[in-house]
Order: sequence, then C-alpha cells, then structure tokens
Amino acid sequence: MAGAKLSRRKIAAYFADEVTSGRDITKQLAAYLVESKRVREADLVVRDIEAALADRGILLTDVASSRELAVETKQAITAFLKQTTGAKDVHIRSHVDPYLLGGVRIDTPGARLDTTLRHRLNQLTASKI
Amino acid sequence: MNFLTQFAATEEAAGGDIFTTLGIDWRLLILQIIAFLILVWILGKFVYPWLMKSVDERQAKIEESVKAAEEAEKKAESAQEEITKLLKDARAEAKDIVTTAKDEAAAMVADAEGKAKQRAEKIVTDAHEQIEKDVIAARKALHNDTIELVALATEKIVGKTVSDGIDKKIITEAVKTEAAKERA
Repeated sequence: MAGAKLSRRKIAAYFADEVTSGRDITKQLAAYLVESKRVREADLVVRDIEAALADRGILLTDVASSRELAVETKQAITAFLKQTTGAKDVHIRSHVDPYLLGGVRIDTPGARLDTTLRHRLNQLTASKI
Repeated sequence: MNFLTQFAATEEAAGGDIFTTLGIDWRLLILQIIAFLILVWILGKFVYPWLMKSVDERQAKIEESVKAAEEAEKKAESAQEEITKLLKDARAEAKDIVTTAKDEAAAMVADAEGKAKQRAEKIVTDAHEQIEKDVIAARKALHNDTIELVALATEKIVGKTVSDGIDKKIITEAVKTEAAKERA
C-alpha cells in the first residue's frame, strides 16, 4: 500500500471491503496517509469511505438536533433511513446544537435532510424581497 | 307843357337857323368833333392798347389762376382719392395685421395650453409612478420587516417553549412526512 499513489476512490473501496469483512484497517490507512503525505486528504478519504460503505449497505449518518435524541427517535430515524436508502445497517452519530432550536438535521453521504426550526427560519428570512 | 310853349315862342322869335336857335356854334362843334376824334385816336393809339394789354394780361393771369386752381382742385381730388385709397389700404392692412395677430395669439395660447396640459399630465403620471414605487417599496419594507420580526419572535419563543416532548414530536412527524414523500 505504501508504493504507488492510490486514488481516494480505490482507497475507500478497499477500506469498505475490509471493514465489511470484519477487519479493522484504520491504523494502516492512517499510516498510509502519513507516509504518502496525504494527511490533508483525510476528510475527503473519510467521506469517500462513507460513500463506499453506503454502497455496501452500511450507512454512516450525522444527525444534529437541539436536544439529545430519545431512543425512540433514533429508532424512527434509523427505520426512515433504511427505508429511503435501502441500507442494511445504519450508524448514527448524533450531535446536539441548541442553535437549531428544534427538529433534526440528517446528513448522509451525498444527501441532507434538514427539518430543523433554524433551517425554516433561515428559509423565511431568505424569502425577504 | 310850359317848356314846349316857351320853346316854340323862342323859335318864332329867332326866325331861322336851328343851330342858332339851339345855341350851337357849328364851327365850335367841328372843332370839338376834331378834338374828340384826336382824343379818340390818341386813346386808340396809346391808352387803349395798353389798357387792353393790361386787361389781357390780367385775364391771362386770372385764367392761369383758374387753371391752376382747377389743377389744384384736380390734384386735391387726386390726392383725396389717393388718401382715401391709402386709408383703405391701411385699414385693410391694419385689419390683416390685427387678424394675423389674433390668429398668432390664439395659436400661441393654444400651444401654451397644449404644453401646459402635457406638462401637467406628465407631472401627474410621474407622481403616480413615484407613488406606486413608494407603495411597492413600503410593501417590500413591511414584508421584510414582518419576516424579520416573525423570525426573531419565533426564535425567542421557540427557544423557550419547545420542550423535549414537542421536539420529539416535531422530529417524528418530520421523519414520517419525509418517509411518506419517499413512498409516494
């Protein structure tokens, strides 16, 4: 892995395959990025890995809300994401942001669902002439 | 009657020549006739021509004066006619000038009225447009202010009133709605 420069897409696909087969190669990936002086691409690589995992039925999603989500709410979101994306496995990374006022913002690889009150207020404010 | 009687008596008393009877001396008479003829000749030779010449000259002068007077009268009549004609022309010209002046004045008044009307209409149109712009701007400002106020008020109220239960309900309903949309 340390020889030729691999594309992010290949790295992500390889990592997703390894993870889905039960092997954790996170440290090797980090070492490769450091060695190949591609640390700056880490965020992009992570995003590509999430996309590759989503293609393999594993959905990593960021869920932001103004309050801590209840278990029932997380279950409802998980069910919703499984229904809409066809993912077999959904992993939620929840964040609390009081600035959102209410509702939830769900970020998946390549898509965003924002039902927060802050977003609606921003839409209302943006409708000024 | 007494005179005739006396004359007859004298006639008879003289007895002869009638000249003597009448007291006329025929020699003296001849002399007087000669003298008269000489006088007539002198008058005819010297006085009468001069007198006639003077009379002719005077008559000529009079005729000339008459002629001049007639000419003057003719000239006066001609001048009067010319004056009349000039007055007539002057009156006609004055009438034309007055008519032209009236027409020009009427045209100027009409033109001024037209321009004033156009200007007034333009002012009214501009005023309407400006009012319409102001109304639109005021509506926009009111709309924007209302939106900002509503957003601010909503933020203040929602921040205090939304509880965990309400938030949960909002999220659940939003997820259901999106799921229904996906199914549709």
